Amino acid sequence: MSRFRPPVWFVLLLPAIIILAAVVLIPLILSFYSSFTPYKLTRPDTLYKWIGTFNYEKAIKSTHFWAAFGRTVLLLTIALNLEMLMGLGLALLVNKVTYGQRALRTIMMFPMMFSPVLVGFQFKFIFNDNVGLVNNALQSLGLTDKAIPWLVDGQLAFIAILTAEMWSATSVFAILILAGLFAVPRDPIEAAKVDGCTPWQSFRHITLPYIMPFIYIALAIRSLDVARAYDIVQIMTNGGPARRTELLWTLIGRTGYIDAKMGYANAMGYISIFLAIFFTVYFFRKLNAARSELGMAG
Amino acid sequence: MGKQKLKVLLGATALAAMAGQAPAGEFDGITLQAKLIGGQQYEGLYARIAEWEAETGAKVDVISKKNHFELDKEFKSDLAAGTLGWCVGSNHSSFAAQYPNLYTDLTPYLSAEDIAAFVPANISASKIGDALVMLPRAQFDVSVLYYLKAVYEDEGNKTAYKEKTGRDLAPPDTWEEFKEQAIFFADPPNFYGTQYAGKDEAIVGRFYELVVAEGGALFNEDWSPAFNSDAGKRALQWFVDLYDAGAVPPGTTSYLWDDLGQGFASGTIALNLDWPGWAGFFNDPDSSKAAGNVGVKVQPAGSSGKRTGWSGHHGFSVTESCEHKEAAASLVAWLTNEDSQKLESAGGSLPTRSAVWEHVLQEAQSDPFRAEAIAAFQAGAEHAFPAPQTPEWIEATNLIYPELQAAILGDKTVDEALADAAEAVDEMMQENGVY
Repeated sequence: MSRFRPPVWFVLLLPAIIILAAVVLIPLILSFYSSFTPYKLTRPDTLYKWIGTFNYEKAIKSTHFWAAFGRTVLLLTIALNLEMLMGLGLALLVNKVTYGQRALRTIMMFPMMFSPVLVGFQFKFIFNDNVGLVNNALQSLGLTDKAIPWLVDGQLAFIAILTAEMWSATSVFAILILAGLFAVPRDPIEAAKVDGCTPWQSFRHITLPYIMPFIYIALAIRSLDVARAYDIVQIMTNGGPARRTELLWTLIGRTGYIDAKMGYANAMGYISIFLAIFFTVYFFRKLNAARSELGMAG
Repeated sequence: MGKQKLKVLLGATALAAMAGQAPAGEFDGITLQAKLIGGQQYEGLYARIAEWEAETGAKVDVISKKNHFELDKEFKSDLAAGTLGWCVGSNHSSFAAQYPNLYTDLTPYLSAEDIAAFVPANISASKIGDALVMLPRAQFDVSVLYYLKAVYEDEGNKTAYKEKTGRDLAPPDTWEEFKEQAIFFADPPNFYGTQYAGKDEAIVGRFYELVVAEGGALFNEDWSPAFNSDAGKRALQWFVDLYDAGAVPPGTTSYLWDDLGQGFASGTIALNLDWPGWAGFFNDPDSSKAAGNVGVKVQPAGSSGKRTGWSGHHGFSVTESCEHKEAAASLVAWLTNEDSQKLESAGGSLPTRSAVWEHVLQEAQSDPFRAEAIAAFQAGAEHAFPAPQTPEWIEATNLIYPELQAAILGDKTVDEALADAAEAVDEMMQENGVY
């Protein structure tokens, strides 16, 4: 009788498969399964009750969910564009510096070292309507005599959150683009100079194409980050007041952990993942296009 | 059990009955496991457990000491896993409704006089249906009115208020008067008439007590929402009017208890409905600009004549599955008896026994501010009622508060906001199988 012998490649891959299954697959399957149940953390027996697509239908019909979805896409779009432009500007400036560039690069990374929770608290205080720095400064400068409700007004709160996000993440763009700038070859730029190109022309047609892959990588990383935005918003406004700053993950977090409705929260989570997948695919396509333009496509 | 032993036991029981109190050895050999709330402020009382052990011969094994949120999780996992071998647990009136089957009714183990010695409002807040599921300890919370005395002593204010309303300026006794005065005192952005908790359970709790004071209810008997009523609309309108008039800080919709405490202590808020724990803080020159200027008064009444009084208190319970319920009930009674409450309230917390209130008031006579505060809280305690006793309370508050905020900020009318909130709560209750 011959014993079953698994192929060598399978045996060699087995440890990786087991670890991946334990840390990625099992939680994914469990959370996916629970999204088809009325699972409530406080009532463990509800995990075994199958309710089909009820949670998904509920989420799809919920105006609060789609409002949060739309707000997350809006924040993502504005934050990414502004962070990219500011990061690009910052990187170009730092690239020009000849003395003390290392120190500048280190200083630039400081915001990335702060925990998002801390950033949330810091900006919550800065934008506080009563004792906050912004209102005090505006009042001292005589620009207003009112207490501007930064974290209460829908648009102002959006700006406050955007500011906090940008403060903490613009340097991600700056660092990655700076790395791109270091890799730009000198020859084409010098050739362009000899041929009489303006600085704008050489930036637009030579430097920018070279750093585009770096920009797309930064955009892909940050799009995932912002699509999952939670901590800063949770601390600053908790999605409120009156759901004015509700994002996907503040809504899902509250549903899952405060209301203890894990099944419904997971269903909303799975719908939201499409957002992240869409942006990732989009930026990776752009990245490949930019690379093939440079003859680097593989 | 040997005959000899039985005789001794019977003899001891007879002696005990004659003496009328727990005799030495009444619960000999019994060990009670307990899960108690932990924290430095509670330790003084737990030191008394040794005395009870010495008197009764039983032993107490404290197997868990955590805060209420952690205990709450532990109780829920005990219920799920069926690990209910323990007997005595700390309880809280805001949590109790979540585990209706965990604790036993203590009424059979106590005399009517024992129960009557507690403040009646605290006893009714300790019941689920008719079952007395806990005995209240001297850790009681209800909000009363704190105010800045200076604004009432100001001659300019007195004259202007009299001219405006035809009445003398005095700390308000109704919520209507409170609103009128708050708007009158407000001078934004430097000084505000009042402030309120603006999100989460906090604002719903305030709304709840105001609905009750307006003669309404948050829920019907079957737990369907009842707040989309005239009383509910009047209550929400109160919040809206104060916000619209600029009588509260514009950021109040994001304030919670700490923000409110700090706000009143900054001396820029005239009237503040707040909890007993802040009294010392408000009148301490190191922590408060309002120190020496703070008045305390019983909370105002709504248009129904009823006062607000959303309250909470700690207590001790005995599990349904406990093997030695009598011994456990004896321990719970000991931990909440007069001496125990005197000991605890010496630390500044509020008692739940009528006799201990008198004692605390007597003790505070040398400190006029403390005496004024204690008198206000004693009066306030008479109107106290607990949070709605349903496991769905927190989930309901998460559906209600964004709608209250929407009305306050003008995104919705009062009618729309309450209709939307009621619809959401109704849907949730049905989905959770409440009705």
